[in-house]
Amino acid sequence: MKKIICLMIAVVMAAGVLTACGSGNSGNTAATTADQQTTAAANADAAKADETGALAADAQTEAPAADRYTFVYKGTNIALKAEAAAICEALGDAKSYTEETSCAFDGLDKNYTYTSFIMTTYPDGDRDRVNSITLLDDTVSTFDGISIGDSKDKVEEVYGADSFNGVNAYIMTDGDAQLTVIIDGDKVSSIQYTAVFE
Amino acid sequence: MKKKLIGIILITVIVAAGLLWLVQGLLMPKFMSEIPEGAMIQEYYENAGGNDVIFISDCEVYENFSPITLWEDYGITSYIRGSAQQLIWQSYYLMEETFRYETPKIMVFNVLEMKYDTPQSTGASSQREAYNRMTLDGMKWSSSKVSSIYASMTQEEREKDGIWSYLFPILRYHDRWSEISGEDFRYLFQRDKVTDNGYLMQVKVNPVGDDYPVIPLVNYQFGENSYYYLDKMVELCKEHGTQLVLIKAPTLSPIWYDEWDQQMVDYAKEHDLLYINFLDRIDEIGIDWNTDTYDQGLHLNVYGAEKLSRYFGRILSEELGVEDHRTDARVVPRWTQKCETYMNRKETLEKELQAVVE
Repeated sequence: MKKIICLMIAVVMAAGVLTACGSGNSGNTAATTADQQTTAAANADAAKADETGALAADAQTEAPAADRYTFVYKGTNIALKAEAAAICEALGDAKSYTEETSCAFDGLDKNYTYTSFIMTTYPDGDRDRVNSITLLDDTVSTFDGISIGDSKDKVEEVYGADSFNGVNAYIMTDGDAQLTVIIDGDKVSSIQYTAVFE
Repeated sequence: MKKKLIGIILITVIVAAGLLWLVQGLLMPKFMSEIPEGAMIQEYYENAGGNDVIFISDCEVYENFSPITLWEDYGITSYIRGSAQQLIWQSYYLMEETFRYETPKIMVFNVLEMKYDTPQSTGASSQREAYNRMTLDGMKWSSSKVSSIYASMTQEEREKDGIWSYLFPILRYHDRWSEISGEDFRYLFQRDKVTDNGYLMQVKVNPVGDDYPVIPLVNYQFGENSYYYLDKMVELCKEHGTQLVLIKAPTLSPIWYDEWDQQMVDYAKEHDLLYINFLDRIDEIGIDWNTDTYDQGLHLNVYGAEKLSRYFGRILSEELGVEDHRTDARVVPRWTQKCETYMNRKETLEKELQAVVE
């Protein structure tokens, strides 16, 4: 009888233990979201102006070598999902800046418009990471030398017919990065780098 | 002996279940002092019934329309079933669930949700799941909730706990034990109301600054899945004799593309629906982007929401014939109380803001 009672007690205790163990995969609770939002908001200005050289050095270390999915602007590699603070520091003041409380991500999405491109970021904990880059004029180009205004033929030559979506765009994807070249008529009308989330 | 044994087993099971239930309640986020959006869906049930107008959608409704203003100016009874980043399939199932409680004359749906065709189109899966929870956890159990869960689950969820983590949220929130605070105990059995009939009040003023960038899209066509659920909404409302009204709230970002607008114009025409794009009526409504937004034009503050509600209230009242209940003795006391709560909240928030400014 005593054994049975002990067994029952063990069941209750085991149930209790279950509440405090397991994988940490569910850690992204909405409560955590609040902390991230607060932190992201507090860091918004800091990310723009107050980052130290140490952060810049970190980013240089972190920055991958330029490739098809990295936009290079005046020597600064802007890779998708790279930490944005040091990139912003290197790029200098944006022509315009807007931020958005996010529906798709926790915290603030930020939009930096420079003369020739727009960079958007998403929050990742207390850091911001590059979400997209959209080229705005023909003074800048992709790693493969494609600019706005280039012909469809040139794009096809560089990226191949296989990447054509059959309607109006050449779309190249590599893991969590996507490069999209939109064609309007026979010319490139927009070039966009976009982070891909599974 | 056998009876005694069965008794002990039963007691043990009951105690274990009770303990688990308590611990589960403790571990679930309460959404009181932070992210009140997570507490909104469950507030409906106390207010279900007697609403002539129901709004269903995301922040484009719960931050932009004030049911209290609709009542004060037009005697319209309404409720907003909104939640953060509500997706169109979630809106559909909330609509379906709403009809179990009441049959409103007008169902209002904000069409920005059409842009998210699949769960994958909304961003990283962990964040998507967290937003889903804000809509799904607050729903009472019904076939609508189950369907909404299945339509919303991320691939990772399907592969891991599936629906079990919704049935037993302790599976989802068990590692919150290290975040447990006084709030979790305080709100273990009851929650404060965070909204006024679904409206989440904001009193801060943060004027519109730079223009939001307009990034061209490869494809402006709304997805099949979005249309599938919009079609279902149309059918559902028809079945219940409720008029479905499509709206686009007057907010500056996310960008509402002309190509998207045209699709909604065409859809409304084809299905004989009223579609109002409030972005086209900013001046008529009287929205001043220097004073009527708390986050640079992404949402309206209470002053903007009251203006928009006055404008929409006139349409609901004069054009759609929604009844004025201000002389209905069965309704007035309840709404008088709601108005009082609203005014108190507004005054408190304004004082708090003033204190911060000073």
